[in-house]
Amino acid sequence: MSQTLTILNDGLRRLRARKIFWLAMVLTILVAASQATVGINEQGLTFLGYQLDTPMLSTAQMSPEAFYKLMFTNVGLSVWLSWIATILALISTAGIFPDLMAGGTIDLVLAKPIGRLRLMLTEYVGGLLFVTLQVAVFTGISILIIGIRGGAWEPGLLLAIPIVVAFFSFLFCVCVGLGVLTRSTVAALLLTIGFWFGLYVLNSVDSVLINLRAEGDILIERRERAIADMESALEQTAQTDTDGESRMRPRLENHRRELTRQRDQQATIERIHKGIVTAKTFLPKTGETIDLLERVLVSTAELPGFDEDDFSEPQAPGDHSIGYVPQSQLQQRVVAMTRARSVWWILGTSLAFEVVVLGGAAWIFCRRDF
Amino acid sequence: MTSDSSLAVDLHHVAKTYRGKVHALRGVRMQVRRGEIFGLLGPNGAGKSTLVKIMMTIVRPTRAEGTVLARPIAHTATLARTGYLPENGRFPRYLTARQAVEHYGALAKVPRRMRKRRANELLDTVGMTQWSDKRIAAFSKGMVQRIALAQALVNDPELILLDEPTDGVDPVGRRGIRDLLGHLRQAGKTVFLNSHMLGEVEMICDRVAILVEGLVVRQGSMEELTAERTYYEIELHGLDPDKAARTAWTALGCEPMASSETPSQPEAATPEVLRGRLSDGCGVEMDGDRVRVASPDPAKAQVALDRLRAAGLVIRSFKPVRQSLEDLFIETVSSNNRVKGGAR
Repeated sequence: MSQTLTILNDGLRRLRARKIFWLAMVLTILVAASQATVGINEQGLTFLGYQLDTPMLSTAQMSPEAFYKLMFTNVGLSVWLSWIATILALISTAGIFPDLMAGGTIDLVLAKPIGRLRLMLTEYVGGLLFVTLQVAVFTGISILIIGIRGGAWEPGLLLAIPIVVAFFSFLFCVCVGLGVLTRSTVAALLLTIGFWFGLYVLNSVDSVLINLRAEGDILIERRERAIADMESALEQTAQTDTDGESRMRPRLENHRRELTRQRDQQATIERIHKGIVTAKTFLPKTGETIDLLERVLVSTAELPGFDEDDFSEPQAPGDHSIGYVPQSQLQQRVVAMTRARSVWWILGTSLAFEVVVLGGAAWIFCRRDF
Repeated sequence: MTSDSSLAVDLHHVAKTYRGKVHALRGVRMQVRRGEIFGLLGPNGAGKSTLVKIMMTIVRPTRAEGTVLARPIAHTATLARTGYLPENGRFPRYLTARQAVEHYGALAKVPRRMRKRRANELLDTVGMTQWSDKRIAAFSKGMVQRIALAQALVNDPELILLDEPTDGVDPVGRRGIRDLLGHLRQAGKTVFLNSHMLGEVEMICDRVAILVEGLVVRQGSMEELTAERTYYEIELHGLDPDKAARTAWTALGCEPMASSETPSQPEAATPEVLRGRLSDGCGVEMDGDRVRVASPDPAKAQVALDRLRAAGLVIRSFKPVRQSLEDLFIETVSSNNRVKGGAR
């Protein structure tokens, strides 16, 4: 146990010795504290005491508590912690294994009575300390701000710590694997960022396809309803109004043809999306992992633009609005589809990926001659 | 596998092949006794560092039969009883000298209080007390080497493996390290020294092994290894150096002999040197005004001395000469190269 603590303590010393660590910490504190400069009231937002008239973002639309929680998840977490701070953390930690495995350094460590696997895993955990400290500081400050300015003490925000650490670990394991394989800090860092970019592209495609599927589902449902309405109307008019029937039937046929085309198109989109989801199953779900906090902290009712009254339904059979999808309805459908993905699928498969990558790195590390 | 408790290192067959084709070690057999300073010599690429690294679990052997401190080779727990100073050891630059020694002490499972005490003692021993709280980043190579030595001793090991310990250390520091190794021997520690500094090895080692191309070709105490190459040298007086060899040849009544039987090192043999054999078969070499009799037996050298004096030659000196470790090393390596060349 003392060996493990020694390695972790050394990890902390290593961090403290790096300027980038202090730079990242100062920036983290500034970004977290800057949340306090923004406020919300009946008229809209306030910034450093100046009133901004933003009726769409006012206490009429959401509570101060929800506002600050959304600011934390959408800005603090999704932008700062999961992008900028992560890049800084990767830069700071990418060299841990290449440095450890450098000639002369590794000799001193391996000559001590510590197993290679334990050494590697402890160093790995030490690498996660960077992000752990960052996110802990950020979350602590955010809890204070939400408590003081939002009027709600939200200990659930502490979930950000394991979530962000898990998110970072999905990238860090790749960085470690590449570091062990290439023994080059630059190669490990660049290839990890490349991998992350690949995940971003995949997530973006997934997101677009979810939108297309949600939109397609709504359009198909609307057209099916329109067709059902027209068929019902047709049955009634057929007995009384033959002219009306002859006018409606071509339109009905037209709707049926369009529905068939939409279903074909939707099937194609679903097939492609299934492929993307399958690919994602084997890869870390970075985006979904970060979104988990919002899922826990913010209910759909608290999300802006989720007012049921916004949904405009087709007013009459053959209504021209059949091809129009209200944004709020689309957003609700997208959120529903996204949140339908289980936590097990998001975290379980991501952690499985991490175990596999770390296992490969450990296999190389334990068998390599230095 | 049974192990002799008097041996700190008992290797029966250690082999290492890199990538299935580079044979770094080809079945090393070596014994290091407890409480001695053992020197491992060999030319570059002989496999010295590989052998030490195998014992320290840094390199995985292809085959390893034998024991280190009575436990199988590369037994991780045994490393708590060993100390290791690697060649070109590198420390984290953010650590101070004291932190480095304590850090590696903690990794070697030295209890906290003891490692703090040991760190102070060892930093004093290696002459680094005044830099104890300075960061290693500011240290010279020699200072880093002293820290490396201190960390190797922090767990009070039974067996200390040192790979080029005096590399980069100034002459005063080198002497300090030599003295320290002497103290360690007195304290009953076993020191395994891997060094190119043949003079140092000769000064402090009890036994040595010479490793050439992955095989131990010589092994034994300094006396054992050099005894068979001890010869007597007779220095003549008052002769023209250019003609002295020929005069001595005539006086001794020599017969020509093969050069491999000559007593001196191969490098000393030049075309002007005459080699022959006395009537009793003892090899003799005439090099200017020096006559070397290839025998550790003084009685045989006396025969040559008598003949030279009988011929009226004046003797300036007569002394036994033990071959230096450097001579032995060069002869061993060269002879190995010749055998290899002959085999081709």
